[in-house]
Amino acid sequence: MTDKKNIEILRVTHLRGPNIWTYRPVIEAWVDIGELENHPSNTIPGFYERLSALLPGLIEHHCSPGVRGGFLQRVQEGTWAAHILEHVTLELQNLAGMRTGFGKARQTSKPGVYKIAFRTRQEQVGREALAAARDLVMAAIHDTPYDIATTVSHLREKVDSLCLGPSTAHIVDAATARQIPSIRLTEGNLVQLGYGINQRRIWTAETDQTSAIAEEIAGDKDLTKSLLQSCGVAVPEGQLVRSADEAWEAAQDIGVPVAVKPYDGNHGRGVSLDLHTQADVEAAYRLAHRKGGGSVIVEKFIPGNEHRLLVVGKRVVAAARGETVSVIGDGISTIDALADLQINIDPRRGSGEDAPLNTVNPRESAEVILELERAGLTPESIPAKDQKVLIQRNGNVAFDVTDIMHPTVAATAALAARIVGLDIAGVDMVLEDISKPMNSQRGAVIEVNASPGLLAHIKPAQGQGQPVGKAVIDHLFHAEKDGRIPIIGITGTQKTARIARLVAWLAHISGKHVGLACSEGLYLDGRQVVATDCAHWEAGQRLLINRSVQAAVFENGSKMILAEGLAYDKCSVGVITDVSWHESLSEFDILDAEQAYKVVRTQVDVILPSGTAVLNSADPQVVEMAELCDGKVIFYGLDPSQATMAEHRAAGERIVFVRDEQIVLAQGMEEIALLPLASLKPAKASQPEMVMAAVAAAWALNIPPELIGAGLRTFESSPKKTPY
Amino acid sequence: MEVNRIRALRGPNLWSHHTAIQAVVSCSPSECAIENITGFEVHLRARFPEISLFQPTGQVGSIPMAHVLELAALGLQAQAGCPVTFSCTTPTVDACVYQVVVEYSEEAVGRLAMDLAQALCQAALDDSPFDLAHALSQLRELDEDVRLGPSTGCIVDAAVARNIPFSRMTEGSMVRFGWGSKQRRIQAAEIDVTSAISEAIAQDKELTKKLLAAAGVPVPNGRAVTDAEDAWVAACEIGLPVVVKPNDGNQGKGVTVNITDKAHLLKAYAAAAEFRDDILVERYMPGNDFRLLVVGDKLVAAARRDPPKVAGDGVHTITELVNLVNLDPRRGSGHSTSLTKMRFDDIAHACLASQGFSADDIPAKGQRVNLRNNANLSTGGSATDVTDDVHPDVAARAVAAAHMVGLDICGVDVVCDSILRPIEEQGGGIVEVNAAPGLRMHLSPSFGKGRPVGEAIISTLFKNGQNGRIPIVAVTGTNGKTTTVRLISHLLTQNGLCVGMTNTDGVYVGGNCIDTGDCSGPKSARSVLLHPDVDAAVLETARGGVLREGLAFDRCDVAVVTNVGSGDHLGLNYITTVQDLAVLKRVIVQNVSPKGVAVLNAIDPNVSIMASKCRGSVTFFAVDKYHPVMATHRAQGQAVVYVEDGHVVAAKGDFQQKIALADIPITLGGAIGFQVENVMASVAAVWALGVDWDVIRQGLALFANDTDNAQGRFNLFQYRGATVIADYGHNPDAMVALVQAVQAMPGTRRTVVISGAGDRRDQDIRQQTEILGDAFDEVILYEDQCQRGRQDGEVIALLRQGLAQARRTTRSMEIHGEFLAIDTAMDKLAPGELCLILVDQVEEALAHIAARVAKG
Repeated sequence: MTDKKNIEILRVTHLRGPNIWTYRPVIEAWVDIGELENHPSNTIPGFYERLSALLPGLIEHHCSPGVRGGFLQRVQEGTWAAHILEHVTLELQNLAGMRTGFGKARQTSKPGVYKIAFRTRQEQVGREALAAARDLVMAAIHDTPYDIATTVSHLREKVDSLCLGPSTAHIVDAATARQIPSIRLTEGNLVQLGYGINQRRIWTAETDQTSAIAEEIAGDKDLTKSLLQSCGVAVPEGQLVRSADEAWEAAQDIGVPVAVKPYDGNHGRGVSLDLHTQADVEAAYRLAHRKGGGSVIVEKFIPGNEHRLLVVGKRVVAAARGETVSVIGDGISTIDALADLQINIDPRRGSGEDAPLNTVNPRESAEVILELERAGLTPESIPAKDQKVLIQRNGNVAFDVTDIMHPTVAATAALAARIVGLDIAGVDMVLEDISKPMNSQRGAVIEVNASPGLLAHIKPAQGQGQPVGKAVIDHLFHAEKDGRIPIIGITGTQKTARIARLVAWLAHISGKHVGLACSEGLYLDGRQVVATDCAHWEAGQRLLINRSVQAAVFENGSKMILAEGLAYDKCSVGVITDVSWHESLSEFDILDAEQAYKVVRTQVDVILPSGTAVLNSADPQVVEMAELCDGKVIFYGLDPSQATMAEHRAAGERIVFVRDEQIVLAQGMEEIALLPLASLKPAKASQPEMVMAAVAAAWALNIPPELIGAGLRTFESSPKKTPY
Repeated sequence: MEVNRIRALRGPNLWSHHTAIQAVVSCSPSECAIENITGFEVHLRARFPEISLFQPTGQVGSIPMAHVLELAALGLQAQAGCPVTFSCTTPTVDACVYQVVVEYSEEAVGRLAMDLAQALCQAALDDSPFDLAHALSQLRELDEDVRLGPSTGCIVDAAVARNIPFSRMTEGSMVRFGWGSKQRRIQAAEIDVTSAISEAIAQDKELTKKLLAAAGVPVPNGRAVTDAEDAWVAACEIGLPVVVKPNDGNQGKGVTVNITDKAHLLKAYAAAAEFRDDILVERYMPGNDFRLLVVGDKLVAAARRDPPKVAGDGVHTITELVNLVNLDPRRGSGHSTSLTKMRFDDIAHACLASQGFSADDIPAKGQRVNLRNNANLSTGGSATDVTDDVHPDVAARAVAAAHMVGLDICGVDVVCDSILRPIEEQGGGIVEVNAAPGLRMHLSPSFGKGRPVGEAIISTLFKNGQNGRIPIVAVTGTNGKTTTVRLISHLLTQNGLCVGMTNTDGVYVGGNCIDTGDCSGPKSARSVLLHPDVDAAVLETARGGVLREGLAFDRCDVAVVTNVGSGDHLGLNYITTVQDLAVLKRVIVQNVSPKGVAVLNAIDPNVSIMASKCRGSVTFFAVDKYHPVMATHRAQGQAVVYVEDGHVVAAKGDFQQKIALADIPITLGGAIGFQVENVMASVAAVWALGVDWDVIRQGLALFANDTDNAQGRFNLFQYRGATVIADYGHNPDAMVALVQAVQAMPGTRRTVVISGAGDRRDQDIRQQTEILGDAFDEVILYEDQCQRGRQDGEVIALLRQGLAQARRTTRSMEIHGEFLAIDTAMDKLAPGELCLILVDQVEEALAHIAARVAKG
């Protein structure tokens, strides 16, 4: 009997937009659990124990009971393998560092075959998590060994290489919190925030306002320093040197103590501080030369702590302090061992991108070896008991000091960024005390960095994380802006392409640069760019990433919603002509009109609270969707006396109907406009429903009725004769 | 001949508006008249025949060798191709010592020319050889090295034509236009708002293609490939012929086009893989290569680029033909000339081989031989201007491509048969967009018209005729300039501007002191002009800086000359008379912009005469509106500022504004004469800048000349019922003004505390006490460390001499130490008395006085 137990994954689809399951991208998998249909979890001895031992984190899954431990309770009581697979996939994603929560499992019309859906932020990771989850569940069922650690570390690597980096993800999360949509443009960290003409772009901590020339200036330390200096910003006096001799000469010119660093170095690499003697300066020169691979700079050493101030826009939004790292001797252990005992045990230290502090390896770090050498020590030296040994002078800058920062210090950092021309900058300053006024201490700007890391501010080793992502978003988007453009989605089977074209035309003559993706092609600003069927996700994305598009119209068939998901996350206007079941939906296991309803409603679910649903009052299933809409509703239909229409009108709402050969736009008892059908081309006049749907959508977009009337008269149904 | 004190005058100066090298040249007596040196001119002309005549035809007279040096330095630069024309030599008060000034366009070239000119003169004297050709090539090479490249140069030229100031930020192509908060930056054909992200996108060909496709721009189909085999698979998917190229290469490196079979493809893959790991395979679009230049939202130029080729003549081998073509002087080796030499390298040989040629073949007459398949200028291709032929749809696609990627200046590469028809009709496409495109193919194409692309770029940087300038007020004079600078800054600040101010105390931006010390030179002025926050600059412009380096700005909106008086610091740097000084101070007036205003003291004849040198208009100020200069100016309908019935009056034609002196605290109701002068000058200056009169009134009412505002400028204290005034006046004119002011103030008994600065002339030190002796009852003389090169007791002795004829002073005493002198004076004060303390160590002394006052 055990041999027959298996889970077969039949098909996996990445739904890249809102779908029948949820508002966000998910992976939908069809799985056949075969024999296991007859073996719910409670009937497999030891399964619960094995599963919860492999994945103790499952205790956090609430599932349908809605409480902590809810899912495990279901496992104990008995649930089916597909459901378990869903939760295990989610848990593996969580363990890999891609936190998600949503999942569902549903039976299909075929016994033993389930559809499961789970939220994922990256398709490849989701697919691999699913495959791993299947193996894990099977191992738990068959009581065979399973190497969870290897799986998780493999998935974690995938997450690190495929998902957005932590800084970018933090900014994108802040955008999401402000209802600003985002589109990842590459496999890297280039992300578009907002749609069409209102979009902005970010690339880690760079924005589309970050000047390339400013980055070039920031990369040239000498130029940066001279610009800062001439604007009165204190910088350490320094000289470029090309040899150890020159370095010592420069040190004498400048006056010891000096700091020596590579000209093109990154933070901390190859840097030696507080050098007094010729031997120290020359050794430091050699280190810097080796690490930087080129020019070396000798600078006046300024006593104090290194600080990193993050400037966004015109102000400092976070400040972090670096600290020196020391060990204290116990009379037995070597310095190397002491580092592990006293420093590296700190759970915040690690080697990954996520760790707020780096591990310290005296034996491997040339900077540490040199620092020790100057104290006459090596990593193997054994300091006396209670002897304090300085290991690192410029360790991680990860101690949040934002709240105690003095305004004059902040003003200096902001000015430095402005001088270089960067909208986002990490300004490195040496300060005795960040809480004291600039002019009361010796302090200087050491460097201005473009595209600064945000991690030290998001997850400081000590102190409070700062909302730097929010600051970046607030810098890019005014408080009342959400980066959206008017989006009109049209779903149904009744001439939806024609409606889409007509709506696009009406929006176009209202003066907007309109994009249209429908089954009759892809149109941009009155030009057919593609003549083939473009009612699909990919074409929709093209409209949204187009920086010229001011309004976008989409035709979304049920098949597209099922196979791909919608191209946009939210829309301003959703038009539903009808809910009709068609044979072609069978391949998605949608077998009747009731199930078709669940597909079509997706279009209504994504309407913004400020948006409008345009619904056909003649279709009872469509009428039913009115209550799903977060925004307003406009009903259209031939007969204003029909119950839905009359009630809606009585409630003071908008309806569109036909009376005496005229299309009437009415709000409450008031008739806003009359559009005679006789003024239209016969082809249009013969399809009043199609025209009404488009008119209602245009009305929802606040296009003036006179303009709508003009647009109807000028619209040509033949694609050859019209821009849309 | 000795050439000393070589200086670069980097702005408008005493001599001219040009940048110039200035040197002090001492000639030996015989060198003062070269006509007496046998053979000198003949030898010189033999070595440098192009040197101009030593003097205009028909003129006779001695010519000093300094003048020959001057002409040689100018001539050498001109022969090397530098656009320079100005030079002059003037005698100094010392015999046989001359000041030589020679214009330069690049400082380093000017300095080198000066050295070479000296060597030339020496060679002519010694009748030894001088290698002119080498000298000129040295100058030419240096000039090519340091001057801006053609792309940047054309943008700078366009800016200059629009009256936009510029300065180089690096030795490379980074240039700043405009000043302060209006400044913009470029780096070659890249502007400051161009985002780094857009540039990164342009580097990523696949992403670019995706974005362009979204913008409805036709692009070649294709994809990235993982290895050579995958490249072949991709080629088959796309359909031959294909192109293979590295994903982010530039200038055609590693690109192979028109690949028609697998063997060719594998070779191409290997060539591309030398440059990058990520390789693209795309549909090859046959046709011509066009480069469209988009600036802002417009297409400004287009060129067809043709690969390098030679035409057979039936005589020469291909190698010879290439060498012949490369003889064209327009073909240089880098980017600085309009064409580049054809490269005859492995790629060229491979290209020949594909046409069935070898380098030693002699092609038939008229037979064309391609040397490369791609048309980059940098490998010897040519460019033909086609700007006027671009179909509007093609232009629209190019603009859409640039906009989609986010580039403000963008080179769009189009491949299609003809630019006359829409790209889509011909199956062509946009194959690449380039950030920071080269401009030379549009500026000086191999064939066709050059296009004004620099103008287009400047127009995107400075819209609606803006010129990037901020208001600049330059202030000079012997006395009162620091207070005037502060008052003008204060009034502009009241007007809502962030003011950058330089004076002898320091540099201030928006009220923050960013530098201290004497900051009245061009370096400090420049730091204000490039500060990103500064909306207006008020610059004290002292003589030293003008002499040393010239002005920091090419022109100013307002030049204020408070007075020249009997002068100050005479005798330094060949400025020996008050007239010399006036000529020097006049430099700011000479550089007032045509729409600007010179604010001049009407009473001081050395100042009022400057009016004739001003290109803009003039506002005179004087208390007395009936002064002839004032009356005349007024009668002509010009602007004047004067005092009438206890009001400062600004009048021009029928226009008149009055401000009561009672409402201007620093004048003590008009009692302090020199402050009234400062107020008149300041009001005239801000009036010229169009500041609202209500703002001026309010500003004057709020301006307090306390120690925080202007240290050492008539700082008033009340101490035990007595009035104490501290001031840093140190010349006779200042003494006169102080005395006049103090006499207007009540004071039963008057004491003055004074020392003399040792670096003044004896007569000037003496004259100070002569003036004071007529106004004060008691004089306390002190001496401190600050002797500036004189013996102990020397200064006090001079001061004593000045008191000999005193009409009022009845008591005097000598004290060693500034603080002790101050204490002595203050201890003796009784209510109702007045004490003027002439401080020397300004900050410390003021702090000392303030501390005593606070103690009571």
